[in-house]
Amino acid sequence: MTLNVADNDNTLAEVYILDWRGWLPGSSAQAPGLSTEANPTAADIPAMLRRRLTPVGRALCSMLCELDVARHNIPIIHASQHGDGQRPLDMLDAIAAGDPVSPARFSLSVHNALVGVYSIASNHQGSIAAIAAGGDEWAALLSEARGYLAEGWHQVALVWSDSTVPARYRAAERSAEAPSALALTLSLDASPTARPVSSFSARPSNAVRDQPEYLVHQLMTS
Amino acid sequence: MSDTPLTPLEHELAELIINTLELEDVTSNDIDPDDPLFGEGLGLDSIDALELGLALQKHYGIKLDSDAEDNQTHFASLRHLAALVEARREK
Repeated sequence: MTLNVADNDNTLAEVYILDWRGWLPGSSAQAPGLSTEANPTAADIPAMLRRRLTPVGRALCSMLCELDVARHNIPIIHASQHGDGQRPLDMLDAIAAGDPVSPARFSLSVHNALVGVYSIASNHQGSIAAIAAGGDEWAALLSEARGYLAEGWHQVALVWSDSTVPARYRAAERSAEAPSALALTLSLDASPTARPVSSFSARPSNAVRDQPEYLVHQLMTS
Repeated sequence: MSDTPLTPLEHELAELIINTLELEDVTSNDIDPDDPLFGEGLGLDSIDALELGLALQKHYGIKLDSDAEDNQTHFASLRHLAALVEARREK
């Protein structure tokens, strides 16, 4: 059986994007809600928590703070195909060389660690899920979100990040050229400014994987 | 800013802490050698304790047992840490 949630299947209720933030480091694009800082300031995250985050982690935490998802403890779902590509490889290199692994690096290498840091910083006490979906991240995010909304949650927050894959792991077209990230809040209710998810696509034609950057560009121009 | 000047070893350890634990906006001048490193004071956490244990091993050849009871004393302040390094360093 094929899981098919990203298409316009009429049996599924429409889901609406209430608000969003995007991170495209180094991009020349300008739009409300878009950050292009190479290493986001993340001023809302206390320095003692922020110090261990990579730029993508700082971007994720900043975007969630701006969307204020901790206020109502709404569920957060984070998707990332490769997580933080470089640091886990550095740790494997250390192990291979017989060197000890940095506990701080290890603590942030688990897939749900980035949103975990956000939850500590913001006192978010709701549900957090972290998924990797082999390139089908957008479909997986929507599938998870529909589950929470069907259970009666008024809103769900999605975060989606993409990192470049270290060259040693890279199979031609599978890696992003640059990191990017996206956060958005979803609801079943159509507020006047809400936009239906079915009007967006996360995968360019001919691409083999969903790309947050592609979705950010559509949100910017819609 | 601390009132007590740091000894050379305390200064070296302060730099080690700042660099290893990636502390932002902290200089060795900000660390009072008698202030607690963990919780209050500098505000380090349990992951920092593990990271610091690793750094002591790398730089000074000091191996600490992770559940030894006197670790709390060794890690209480920069001054205690310096005393540990002086007593047990192998390099």
